[in-house]
Amino acid sequence: MVVSRLIAKLQRYEGWFGVAAGLLIMVGLYMGLVTSSPDYYQGEVVRIMYIHVPAAQSAMFAYTVLFGGSLWYLWKRDPVVDNVSHAAAGIGIFFTLIALITGSIWAKPTWNTWWTWDPRLISFAIMLLILVGYLMLRTFLEDKEKEATYAAILAIVGFIDLPIIHFSVEWWRTLHQPLSISTRGVAIARDMLIPLLLMSIGFYLLFAYMLMVRTQMLYLQHLLEAKRGRMLSKVHL
Amino acid sequence: MHFFNVIRWIAWKDLLSELRSRENISSMFFFALIVILIFSFSFSLDPKTSKELMPGIIWIAFGFTGIIGLGKSFLAEVHNDCMEYFQIVPAPKGAIYLGKFVGNALFMLIVEIILFPMFILFFNLDVLEKIPMILLIFVAATIGLSALGTLFSALTVQIRAREVMFPILLLPLAVPIFIGAVEATRGVFSGDPLPLYLDWIKLLIVFDAIFMVVSFWVFEFILDY
Repeated sequence: MVVSRLIAKLQRYEGWFGVAAGLLIMVGLYMGLVTSSPDYYQGEVVRIMYIHVPAAQSAMFAYTVLFGGSLWYLWKRDPVVDNVSHAAAGIGIFFTLIALITGSIWAKPTWNTWWTWDPRLISFAIMLLILVGYLMLRTFLEDKEKEATYAAILAIVGFIDLPIIHFSVEWWRTLHQPLSISTRGVAIARDMLIPLLLMSIGFYLLFAYMLMVRTQMLYLQHLLEAKRGRMLSKVHL
Repeated sequence: MHFFNVIRWIAWKDLLSELRSRENISSMFFFALIVILIFSFSFSLDPKTSKELMPGIIWIAFGFTGIIGLGKSFLAEVHNDCMEYFQIVPAPKGAIYLGKFVGNALFMLIVEIILFPMFILFFNLDVLEKIPMILLIFVAATIGLSALGTLFSALTVQIRAREVMFPILLLPLAVPIFIGAVEATRGVFSGDPLPLYLDWIKLLIVFDAIFMVVSFWVFEFILDY
């Protein structure tokens, strides 16, 4: 139960994570939206990057936490870790949606389309589908341990599949037509890099804060259900 | 050789009960036939466009057929209370998975092989010397679909919304199979030289290997509950 003790310790500083996330995001937003210079090619449009990129990073981090938690749950059967995975999935959907929506808005002026069959777009859309499927599967299973085990299996299989999906789509697109843009090897100016870094760290901290709050909430929910169950059985006796 | 005997007997049991009832294969077959017909109506296929759309139509038909067949894979076990026996039987759990998987893959392959002449007929295909390559693509894609499908069938069989949840979980994860199978089929029928589409077949084989191993490993946890 190493992990659950670590989580309990971290949760004592929960509020600080929230405060730090709020501060970093505020400073980052100010620098990104006001003081940083517009992009040479894209102009002011590039400022959506300060939301889009950190959201996408946090979404991927959320799925990584979900994957790690699922593996750990199958190994050690720690219900606290299952709550963490469950929470990470819901927050992952939130960040994935932000990344997809801001990406779509960004794509319209730069690529002149809301949606293109780009590997990153498709991988994120499929990640969203897997996460939604994960939460749906959880709601349909009644037994708590069964729910946790089945959901963990789905998360692991999906996580292993995502890179394969990404590469197969990338391959498929490059055979048909070259990718619209590639961000690889693009140097980024310093006054853009600093707000981006601040926003990234801020979003990671925000994710950590949300994860702790939501884990706590799920724990209380299960506690409540267990108490209700006990009270019901007393009434029936 | 206990391990392989378990695989053989479970696959044999599924085949035998299917041979006696013919429920699964016949429903899969007619469903796929209807899918092909609907597609030819909705695209009003002339010979030129039909050549372009054909690989996609083949794999949509096979994919949907797979969903019909694979989703029911564990239903009979639940109805006859066999899931409990799977839990207590002194056999490796992975072998039980492989047995179900072999049975499912064989069903799908049988349906695909029955359906294939229909495609030759409808789309006026020229196939004779291409048959070994086509068979290889069919086998590689079917193994991948059945590997994931058997696992998800076991995951979803005991929940209320089984018919909805099974495709929702399976289809997003099966994207690489569809891309690989469609591109390889297109390559074969447009008469491309082998090196142009060999990579797609390799993708299918890699996918099969990864998900057979992963499913084999996680199946044990499903049967624990």
